[in-house]
Amino acid sequence: MKFGNSILLSALMAATALGGIANAQDGEKQYRFVMVSHIGSNDPNMGWLTKSMEEFEKKYPNVKTEYISTNNYSVQEHVRLLEQAISTQPDGIAVPIVSSDAFEGPLRKAIEAGIPVVAFNIPDGRPEGERIPYLTYVGGDEYLTGKKLGEYALEKAEAGEIPKPTHVVCASHDSAHQGLKARCAGMKDAMEKAGAKVDELFIGAEPATARNTLQSFLQANPDTNYIFTVAGWSSPWAWGVANEMKLDPDVDDKGVTVLTVDEGPVSIEGVRAGHVLATNSQGFWLQGYAPMEWLYWNKEFGYAPQSNILTGPVIINKDNADKWAELVRGVFGDKAYDEQNTW
Amino acid sequence: MKQLVRSQGFGAIIGVVVMLVVFSLIDFSGWWTAQTITNVTQFTAILSFVAMGQALVIMTKEIDLSVGSVYGLAGVAFITLEPSFGVPGSLVIALVMAAFVGLLQAFAVVKGHLPSMIVTLGGLFAVRGIIYVWTGGSVHNFSADARIHPVTRLFGGELFGVEAAIFWLVVVAAVLGIVLWATPFGNRLLATGGSRESAESRGVRTDRVKIWTFVLCSLLAGFAGILTLCNQPQTHVTLGENMELEAISAAVIGGCLLTGGRGSIIGAVLGALIVVSFRYELIALGAPSSWYITFVGVVLIVAIIFNQKLARFLGHSV
Repeated sequence: MKFGNSILLSALMAATALGGIANAQDGEKQYRFVMVSHIGSNDPNMGWLTKSMEEFEKKYPNVKTEYISTNNYSVQEHVRLLEQAISTQPDGIAVPIVSSDAFEGPLRKAIEAGIPVVAFNIPDGRPEGERIPYLTYVGGDEYLTGKKLGEYALEKAEAGEIPKPTHVVCASHDSAHQGLKARCAGMKDAMEKAGAKVDELFIGAEPATARNTLQSFLQANPDTNYIFTVAGWSSPWAWGVANEMKLDPDVDDKGVTVLTVDEGPVSIEGVRAGHVLATNSQGFWLQGYAPMEWLYWNKEFGYAPQSNILTGPVIINKDNADKWAELVRGVFGDKAYDEQNTW
Repeated sequence: MKQLVRSQGFGAIIGVVVMLVVFSLIDFSGWWTAQTITNVTQFTAILSFVAMGQALVIMTKEIDLSVGSVYGLAGVAFITLEPSFGVPGSLVIALVMAAFVGLLQAFAVVKGHLPSMIVTLGGLFAVRGIIYVWTGGSVHNFSADARIHPVTRLFGGELFGVEAAIFWLVVVAAVLGIVLWATPFGNRLLATGGSRESAESRGVRTDRVKIWTFVLCSLLAGFAGILTLCNQPQTHVTLGENMELEAISAAVIGGCLLTGGRGSIIGAVLGALIVVSFRYELIALGAPSSWYITFVGVVLIVAIIFNQKLARFLGHSV
């Protein structure tokens, strides 16, 4: 009898609790926000975005977030995904403006239809009146990434810690990516002021082809003494090629100096091992979380920020790399962190 | 001399000679250096393995568009399975996986009577998708012990003073050349591509020949992936991307006719040399590297026209 009473009591409590939850859900609006990204499962940075969106969902249980992405760096494929996402009538969209022209049509239509849009990772680079009227941009500044890294290198060169730049090659894996072009442009502006020649080299994303291309360039341009890889994962390729060519690519006052980007394990460990002078963080975690927060505040309260929200660049160098390693290990986990260190 | 002219790779030999003369004239001091030659030959070796397999498939009047993905899959398997199976174990598993992909595709083509272009196009996407899922987009690395393992050293680095990839290319190309020109299997392979009906009327089991050729092609692509990673043990999801296009170009530049029945191993190697050399020289001359793919396209079209004319001149039906 006692057992029967317990079951009855438990059932009653469960029904009350479920009723309470149902009431709470009735009172709270449900939202669905979609992030349409070019950072796909071929890019370790996707983890930052998806993990931060999971955290966002924990804080706002009435919001469902979705992450969809391309894998093949195709603007057309990205636009197609975006159009598909818009047709599902989400409550908000976060999207990198990989190509202003290509994204203009679908995004303006979505905004006119009342779907708030936040640009993340890559902004619309056109002047204020001409750009896509999204709520705000959350992300790093790709031009500043290149410029600040270049200026940091020049400081070190002035201090005699590394050679003064004579010829810089900006090695890019995607010739159509506005953000990568902006990184190279920033580096170019910093380095040309110091009298160095700067070339942009399209190496592709396939490792053997990329190494072959870079090796050919270094051989044909023996005055090159700085390599800036605009992806963290290609920095070991650059260092490897220069090392095989006996160009002394480690960070010291002679030979070639390698600079890279991103706060991934490859980049951070490259700095810690003395293979890479510096890298940067563009605040990837915030780029997943903050756009969702702004979309939520816009839907709930009508808020819109009055300027872009910069999440980077933060220079990662030998002085702070240990702290960054600790932080990134916490997000990626020890196993994934160690596996992704390809040095 | 007469035999050389009639050989299937004669067009490629002419191509290489013309290329060497032109490169010497415009960039003698840059082209004829030990570093340039090492750079070009090492990457030629890797592409040659994939091109040789592709050439064999093309000789049977089929095509394999999946080789770039198979190359990547074998490389990823080799690196990521090493902690569990050791270097020799992961190498064998990687090769078995590559062969299995070739076998599956061969069955779909031969038993399913499906066009090889469609089947292997599906294979290209399916295998690349597996690489995305398997790696989760992350790069992976060999442990310090695996890097110095004797098997890794046997296929990467240097062997007897030459780059291991070049050493293995010489060995494998010689074996494949003998198989193609001096064994019944080689005769059957060329007969299958030349005229399937007449080959079958002479008792050649063309289905079996095609299945073996697809498996061999995938194995060669997988082996190329392993050679690459023994030398540079870092995976990436883009491993082998677009390599199928370069391999087809190399095979066709090397004298393979897409109508089947004609082609050569040495031609495929020389075709790969032309493709890789053009990339080097374009960059050396200061052309934007994005132009490289345009030049490959132009060279490919010129090679097809030249090879067809040469074949007709020698009295072959094309």
